[in-house]
Amino acid sequence: MIKVKLKCFSQVKYALGSNQLVFELEDGTSTDDLENIIRKKAEGKLDDVTLGIAINKKYIFNNTKLSDGDEIAFIPPVQGG
Amino acid sequence: MIIIQIENSKIIPFPSYDDQIEKGAELIFNGRVRETEHGKKIKNLEYEQYEGMAEKELEMIAQETTDRFLINDLYCKHRIGKVAVGEVSLHVCIWSKHRKEGLDAMSFFIIELKKRVPIWKWAILENGKKIPSDCTHE
Repeated sequence: MIKVKLKCFSQVKYALGSNQLVFELEDGTSTDDLENIIRKKAEGKLDDVTLGIAINKKYIFNNTKLSDGDEIAFIPPVQGG
Repeated sequence: MIIIQIENSKIIPFPSYDDQIEKGAELIFNGRVRETEHGKKIKNLEYEQYEGMAEKELEMIAQETTDRFLINDLYCKHRIGKVAVGEVSLHVCIWSKHRKEGLDAMSFFIIELKKRVPIWKWAILENGKKIPSDCTHE
């Protein structure tokens, strides 16, 4: 098993009702797997939201296997400026 | 030189110097909070950031901008937390030898910032209700 921290912002925070969640996951779990878990947990509130992914504060663009201790963020459309 | 700052208090503009004699263009951009969202009057915007990543991403974009355009300096301050209508949320200064590269660099920097930097905003209406900001364009 691995333990990862999920940081939640904007629509993700609103949908999950939390700033931060911790997940214990099977070895081999990927970012796509975690995104499916998150979307299910959001009960439809993220259905129309495109999510980018950051692992340890760095954007990733392909499905990636998670490691124990990773910090993950699903990034809703950004709005800086 | 590159300077990136994320601040939660009112932005104090970067100073303008008269001794930058090789830099013929000094460009200043101030992004200010508009008074309406979704056609409704607002009190302020509330910005949140992914702490650590937002600053890192801004630095990367600034570096890409200085690599790509012939500019001398890029300074940027982005505000987070509550920002009242009319106040500055984004302040960017670019110094370059000539205006064209400075203008192109400014445009590139702000477009990339709006695509990539993990900062979000909510609008606070006059009755205190919080609604998502509709500003997601480039």
